[in-house]
Amino acid sequence: MTEEQKNGTPEGAKEYTAAGIQVLKGLEAVRLRPAMYIGDTSVRGLHHLVYEVVDNSIDEAMAGYCDNIVVTIGVGDTIKVRDNGRGIPVGFHEDEGKSALEVVLTSLHAGGKFDNEAYKVSGGLHGVGVSCVNALSEWLTAEVHRESKVHYMEFARGDRKEDIKQIGNCPEDDTGTTITFKPDHQIFPELVFNYDTLRGRLRELAFLNRGVRITIIDDRGEQPREEVFHYEGGIVEYVRWLNESRSVICAEPIYFEGEKDGIQIEVAMDYNEGYSESLFTFANNIHTHEGGSHLSGFRAGLTRTLNAYGNSSGLFKKDMKGLTGDDVREGLTAIIAVKIPDPQFEGQTKTKLGNTEVKGQVEALVNTYLAEYLNEHPKEAKGIIGKCIAAAQGREAARKARDLTRRKSALDSAALPGKLADCSSRVPEECEIYLVEGDSAGGSAKQGRERRNQAILPLKGKILNVEKARLDKMLGNDEIRTIITALGTGVGAGVFDIEKLRYHKVIIMTDADVDGSHIRTLILTLFFRHFREVIENGYMYIAEPPLYRVKKGKTEIYAYSDEQKDQLVEQMGGGKGVYVQRYKGLGEMNPDQLWETTMNPDSRTMTRVNIEDAAEADHIFTTLMGDEVEPRRRFIEENASQIKLEDLDI
Amino acid sequence: MSDDHKNTPENNDEPRVPDLGSSGETIIEAGIVEKMRTSYIEYSMSVIISRALPDVRDGLKPVHRRVLTAMNDLNLSPGRPYRKSAKITGDTTGNYHPHGTASVYDTLVRMAQDFSLRYPLVDGQGNFGSVDGDNAAAERYTEARMTKVATEIMDGLDKETVDFIPNYDGSRMMPAVMPSKVPNLLVNGADGIAVGMATKIPPHNMGEVCDGLIALLNNPDLEPADMLDYVQGPDFPTGGIIHGRRGIYDYVTTGRGRVVVRARTETEIRDNGRARIIVSEIPYQVNKSSLIEKIANLVHAGTIEGISDLRDESDREGMRIVIVLKKDAFPQVVLNKLYAHTMMQTTFGVINLALVNHQPRVMSTKETMQEFLKFRE
Repeated sequence: MTEEQKNGTPEGAKEYTAAGIQVLKGLEAVRLRPAMYIGDTSVRGLHHLVYEVVDNSIDEAMAGYCDNIVVTIGVGDTIKVRDNGRGIPVGFHEDEGKSALEVVLTSLHAGGKFDNEAYKVSGGLHGVGVSCVNALSEWLTAEVHRESKVHYMEFARGDRKEDIKQIGNCPEDDTGTTITFKPDHQIFPELVFNYDTLRGRLRELAFLNRGVRITIIDDRGEQPREEVFHYEGGIVEYVRWLNESRSVICAEPIYFEGEKDGIQIEVAMDYNEGYSESLFTFANNIHTHEGGSHLSGFRAGLTRTLNAYGNSSGLFKKDMKGLTGDDVREGLTAIIAVKIPDPQFEGQTKTKLGNTEVKGQVEALVNTYLAEYLNEHPKEAKGIIGKCIAAAQGREAARKARDLTRRKSALDSAALPGKLADCSSRVPEECEIYLVEGDSAGGSAKQGRERRNQAILPLKGKILNVEKARLDKMLGNDEIRTIITALGTGVGAGVFDIEKLRYHKVIIMTDADVDGSHIRTLILTLFFRHFREVIENGYMYIAEPPLYRVKKGKTEIYAYSDEQKDQLVEQMGGGKGVYVQRYKGLGEMNPDQLWETTMNPDSRTMTRVNIEDAAEADHIFTTLMGDEVEPRRRFIEENASQIKLEDLDI
Repeated sequence: MSDDHKNTPENNDEPRVPDLGSSGETIIEAGIVEKMRTSYIEYSMSVIISRALPDVRDGLKPVHRRVLTAMNDLNLSPGRPYRKSAKITGDTTGNYHPHGTASVYDTLVRMAQDFSLRYPLVDGQGNFGSVDGDNAAAERYTEARMTKVATEIMDGLDKETVDFIPNYDGSRMMPAVMPSKVPNLLVNGADGIAVGMATKIPPHNMGEVCDGLIALLNNPDLEPADMLDYVQGPDFPTGGIIHGRRGIYDYVTTGRGRVVVRARTETEIRDNGRARIIVSEIPYQVNKSSLIEKIANLVHAGTIEGISDLRDESDREGMRIVIVLKKDAFPQVVLNKLYAHTMMQTTFGVINLALVNHQPRVMSTKETMQEFLKFRE
């Protein structure tokens, strides 16, 4: 608001005249309101710049002109995206009076995507394209290989710095565009790119666009990293990758595709012996987190087809009621990718597909092809139906177990587990629950807490690994049941209700040692698999207790990292008289120390957990917590070097 | 959510903290994948490197080493009086091993059991449990001191032969490895489940292992299979008979193999024509009372026919399980049934995995010996 006032009205009281009206030209608007174009200027927005540029290359790939994209993170966190597409046109653009390349890079809503002719279908969430990236970059260069010539142009904060010029020749078949840019520190508070974040998205794009080879290179560290993603099998390989650590029912994932009215639909699916659903939907390469019409079409088709087959094949027992949507989704891994000329995105985060015509088309496709598959593959069909029937029985058992807990809790008036030291407030927005490792630490936390809004739930030892347990077994576990009751949301499809969550901060507080790490992974697994909305809503936190207490004479200071400890020791005058205590258990602290260092909202540090890449998250949970040992061993081998020996207690 | 939180970028391993003395809550944003990755790798690496697997040099896991260090501190050598186990476990946990005393006592007890270790490291006074699965007496009753073998493992500890590292709070130093004159990993074996990997090494005969080591010292070019000339195979403290040599060959040469172990039996024909099977040794790590229970259950269920009576006649002379057969039963048929359905036959799946330079490695017997010789040089 204040910005606008400053710009709109000069100092002092001025008349509101025509002269006061300001039209923001071209890219100025982007610089003034970056969030409108790229979502926000946080780390997410920063990475979005890369996606915008890569989407341009993907568009070329979808049109069939490009099959190789290389993304390089350079020293100083620059980004270079090179493709072997046709190259952005460089000819003179009559209407604008400048080169087409400059038009593309400096005008909003420019490009060959809007008439659906140059590109039939295009990705890119906001359609704002590379010009926004230009506007938000300290500098940006473009190198175009086209028609045997190499063209080059340079910009600074969206303004042309140098006119387009030819800087060399190249073979005729060498075409493509290279965009290099450095995000502007005036716009982005944080300028460091995260390799894993970019890698996740690029891998996803490679899965969704079969045949395209995407390379990511990180030149920043001492040892450059490089990975290549290239999947001839497309989303079939995506499903296979997700199921890497699971035992599957169909050796080869089920795949079918169809096209109608310009809408392309691809489905790949398989069932596994696990209990969770891993279903990811995409529209024009954008992950539709909130689902939408393609998802509902798929679900309707799936439930219908499996029920029809179960009945006609005689695999259903006589008195079976039929499978519900939840039953057919247990152990399902599926990717649904649609490509639509005019996608409509709805929902809070604009990741819900709105195009209603898609639902019927996906449903019809599933009805036809899945039925065909089942008839042609009786062995796999039997496995799938068997799996669904087992899920239905499990659901029934879980319902009974749930009823039992409900009935039991109805008897005692508190209706809450005795171990929970609840807070006095009943306003979820201000309430916090600490899931604390062990009774020893639970005691400290109970005595140290702010009784008004902080609840404490001590957990005994290591909780059940829910990755390996179905809902009914999970409900049989005391610790887990206690957590569920305390949260108040209920659990399971159709029962869980985020509105009933009693605390809007769920905080994992474990010891800063090995077993603490393990318990943290177990709790995260529980929430990721059964209370995912808690994480998605930003309610899941990890407490960060101090690692050391550094003491000299009467001064005591807490250190939260090794660097900080070393710094403190030095400040206090080195080794003599300086006493360093390494905290291994929360129980080592007095209640007031725990409050002061870890729980006091005025000074504490906490980590909020988010799910950036659901597919990657799904993959890591099955790898680390699932049944198969081999992928886990491989993971440990690959990541072992990341940890320093001295950090472990030997 | 509070207004004053800062959006800091995805953090990696170390929590970033506000400047000292500043106030206000700090919220760090972190992806769940990254959090899982770092937490899990921390956990799994610790379990692998400093909990579940033995070091190839002294054949000890950290907990063993710490118990022995504490006993050494207490000067509990073979000729000296026993001390209460509670004193030993208390010193171990307080000085070196910041965990519960119960797990430390279990370790101490196992090191004293002559049916668990081929060459016990602890000389126990009192009830240290039995092959029937009876527990040891509580730690306040039993007493312990080191055996001769343990002192050989620690011999030279005070002569700066090995590195010392600080304990958990930096108040004391403890050996990173024992000097170990004894090829402890091979003679006492090991058993441990880490994350993504496990170890299971059978015990061997001290004389055989030493012969192998000497041979290897004289001729470092010996083939892995040549070790079979010296090391015949496992030497279980509980005896038993190894059925087939294939498994031995496999694990000696590659580090992995499946050794089938059977109980030692004798068949007596009584005057009345009835046969009795006498079991005098059972496979390693088999609980005798549950074995007998299992046989009884199978007889009741009709899975094994031909047994009329079953008695455990073990006493201080040794183990003796008597299986009385019915008149028309063939002893060999009954025995085969017993092998197939009960722990009278077990498979010892060898995984010769140990830490070499803090890295887990599966080794042939020759490689294990080489590492030991390298260390002792």
